[in-house]
Amino acid sequence: MSKKTENKIKAASKKALEKQKNILEMLQSHGAKIYEDLDKGQFPKFSIPSRSVSNIVYDKKLRQYILGTSSAVRSSRNTSQLRSFTQLMWLAFFANRLTNEKKSSTLRDIYYSSQAFEIDFEDQSESDNIIVDLEAVTSRPREDFHIFPEERSSIFGDLNIEYTIPGYEGKSMNLSNHPDGYAIGPSLTTAELIDTSAEIVIAIEKGGLFTRFVEEQVDKKFKSIIINTGGQAPRSTRTLLKRLHDEMNLPVIILTDGDVYGEHIAMVIKSGSANAAHLRELTVPDAKWVGVWATDIEKYKLPTIPMTESDIKRCYDLQKDPRYLDGIWKKELEVFLRLKRKAELEAFSKYGLTNITDKYLPQKLELAKSL
Amino acid sequence: MSSIKEKFNQISPSEFFYRNRDLAGFSNPSRSLYTAVREFVENGLDACDAKGILPDIHLTIKAVDPEKSDPKQYILSVKDNGPGIESKHVPLAFGTVLYGSKFGLKQARGMFGLGATMAILYGQITTNKPVTVKSSTDGKLLHEYEMLLDIQKNKPVILKHKTKEVARQGLSVSIFLEGDYSKAGSKIRDYVYQTSLITPYASITFDDPKGEKFHYPRMINMMPKSPTIIKPHPYGTDVETIRRMVVESQFEIPTIDDAMIEKVRKDLGLSKKSLSFTAIMEKAKKRWKNLSRQVRVVIALMSFLKMDFEKLNKIRIEDIDVPNKKLFYWDFGDSTSKSIEMDSESQYYKQLTNTVQGETLTSFLSKKFQRVGPTTAVKFAEFAGFKPEKRVGTMTNQELAKFSDSLQKFEDFMGPDPSCLAPLGEEPLEKGMKKFFKPDFLTVIQRNASAYSGFPFVVEMGIAYGGEISTRGIKVYRFANRIPLLYDEGSDVVLKVINDIDWSRYKAKGDPPLVIVSHICSTRIPYKTAGKENVADRQEIEKELKLAIQFMARKLSVFMNKRGQVEAAKKRANLYAKYIPLIAQFCTELAGKKKEPNFQKILQEEKPIENEQKN
Repeated sequence: MSKKTENKIKAASKKALEKQKNILEMLQSHGAKIYEDLDKGQFPKFSIPSRSVSNIVYDKKLRQYILGTSSAVRSSRNTSQLRSFTQLMWLAFFANRLTNEKKSSTLRDIYYSSQAFEIDFEDQSESDNIIVDLEAVTSRPREDFHIFPEERSSIFGDLNIEYTIPGYEGKSMNLSNHPDGYAIGPSLTTAELIDTSAEIVIAIEKGGLFTRFVEEQVDKKFKSIIINTGGQAPRSTRTLLKRLHDEMNLPVIILTDGDVYGEHIAMVIKSGSANAAHLRELTVPDAKWVGVWATDIEKYKLPTIPMTESDIKRCYDLQKDPRYLDGIWKKELEVFLRLKRKAELEAFSKYGLTNITDKYLPQKLELAKSL
Repeated sequence: MSSIKEKFNQISPSEFFYRNRDLAGFSNPSRSLYTAVREFVENGLDACDAKGILPDIHLTIKAVDPEKSDPKQYILSVKDNGPGIESKHVPLAFGTVLYGSKFGLKQARGMFGLGATMAILYGQITTNKPVTVKSSTDGKLLHEYEMLLDIQKNKPVILKHKTKEVARQGLSVSIFLEGDYSKAGSKIRDYVYQTSLITPYASITFDDPKGEKFHYPRMINMMPKSPTIIKPHPYGTDVETIRRMVVESQFEIPTIDDAMIEKVRKDLGLSKKSLSFTAIMEKAKKRWKNLSRQVRVVIALMSFLKMDFEKLNKIRIEDIDVPNKKLFYWDFGDSTSKSIEMDSESQYYKQLTNTVQGETLTSFLSKKFQRVGPTTAVKFAEFAGFKPEKRVGTMTNQELAKFSDSLQKFEDFMGPDPSCLAPLGEEPLEKGMKKFFKPDFLTVIQRNASAYSGFPFVVEMGIAYGGEISTRGIKVYRFANRIPLLYDEGSDVVLKVINDIDWSRYKAKGDPPLVIVSHICSTRIPYKTAGKENVADRQEIEKELKLAIQFMARKLSVFMNKRGQVEAAKKRANLYAKYIPLIAQFCTELAGKKKEPNFQKILQEEKPIENEQKN
């Protein structure tokens, strides 16, 4: 291991430690405030940024949705808020333990863990919602508290990483060693990115195509890191994409199905979602959507299926989104609405199983340079 | 009031009612059975009320042949513990139609006692069996009559009359009649149930034909105040009533028979002594003030006849011709008609004039009507265009019509006297409803008396909520003069008023377990239909009902608010007790403390609120 690399690792683990300390201090200060209120005989309360639609605004400079300035007071005196107040307190308490002991948890795990503390969430969506509350109050993503979504996205390619999670500290790994790819979970998201020979990151919407790309050695042929987003990219994946772009200076291109949902998967990676308007640092503004475009359907004479009512409605909804008011985003939406038909990535199989990697991908990679 | 001697009058033959029995509620076996029950039960209750006796009513309906299917013959018996009816009046009271004692102006359940005879008549028509009446007025001797009605002659036919010794006073009537209990049963049971609600001072037992026994024990031991018989109010009269009153006010020339002469002697203190004519006149002058009108008239006649008692016994007065100042009489001794001149200057002449021509208008008004004093009477005479001293007996038909018309138009009469009404009273109503419904909340109100068209009325109401009331939605029990109104409630004024109220304003939302009892008392209830099941929406009655309900609804709303607050406070306290300790536990570890914060202060603070509202 080179001296330079060693230094980089040291700096990285120092940074991770500092981050952990910050989180713990912040949680403690929140807890201390509640403690004092109770001890003084007052009902504790705190303020939380409003996440209602009216408070979600698009920030052109940041190129993402952010929360406005309005906020709400949540008080334990108010009996209609008392339950969610207690749930949030428990979550902060639980997140504090996770962070302190460097343990990881998933959304589903949080839901089940609550039962051990007589905190009754009606279903997982209620507990998921409280997790978003914690993010909003602290302005930190849940991953900072060691809470991760279920793993469903994966990565493959020549990338060396080094773990920072307890028990694996300093252990390194090359992400092209296992042909099934590596799940993007807590340990990978928090790992240090050491080096890579790749020159581009290809994010692809579907697991099936991901496997095909690995089999066809797209990583080697096009010097790329391949990431399967598994549909709408989870936040851990978006975080990793951002780090690959920012830390390793790699361009990111996105390949999705040729429909309005695919177009939006690309948009969320690029500029975030309204659901996560309370968080920043989750976007890759320079990422490029390269296909499958609506215009590709005509150009490549792809087999199609008709759009459903909800597909069409989704098109009209997105036309109101400020991010869809110009460029290819606007143009492709219009073409989808004109065609009223959509195509999957697999549509290229009509012209041979490797058609997509042999013909389509090279053209798109070439095109991406000019976008 | 018991001093008023009950007056028995024979009014009209039973033939008419035989032909028109539908009008009286005897149209079919089901309805007839129900009507008969009502008539007898109500008579029993009225009789007890009149004498201030706490009623014990025992109603029995038995099928003659239980195996037969309806309609079939039943035996209906109603027994009370009232004053009974004197033996000599029993045949007339139960054996003729339109023979009754309830003829004054006071509130009673039935009128004229007509219904009971109608039930007997119906029973006789459908079964050809006699009625059995047992009566004891002294609690020692019981008279038992078995009789039939002679419909054409409107006369009783007594089949049996026997006496036996008993230990209790009261009246029992038992008839055979064609009925349909499978149809009328629920209505009769409802009637008994609701009657016991509005008569909490009565004990009512009902043995039904299926062997079921319904017993409603006495809930309170106090009788409501008895109504008094009062004079009519001017607004409540018509030409015919006025004519009858005028006729009644003109005293007939008394028949001078042995009994009358005996009475005059007794009143003058001359029972044993025989005095000369002059001595008798002297004596009468001295005692004039204490003499009854009848006796005065006899003395006046004697003054012109110049006769002592012995001579008086031998003549008969034929006519008194006031304008011509002549007195005609028949002399038994000579068997001839004779006449004498009367001295118009004599004070006795005036006495006779009064008797024959009736009283002056002003004294007639102030004596015969309620709430009319001499001053008002004079004002009225002026208003109507009569001389105040006009003799009512001399009025022509046209003048009578004008008189009657003016009575309705004159606006200075005071409101009618409600002392003739018999509301149950707030306390008995409240106690009765409390024992009946066992509610969480109860309030009652008796409004002040008011009047419509000269008829006084009083509205009393009660609202009960929650507790053992299991019905959902507002259940209304309507009563008029202590009689339950069971059917045809849709068009009733009480329902109209209740439905017009926005109950959610009074915190009674959804289908509240709410019972409303409404009792309208009046000398004449304005029924909408001949069925007498629904009260018409007279503006004055509607207003009183509305005010009564609003008053009670406000109280209900206060109760509901309190209950809501207590419940909310309880719920709040429970939530705090559950969650605050958890918050304390989590923030303790989060803040890095060892000891939990003292959150008990908050929980303590919340508790007093709950207690305060409970009190």
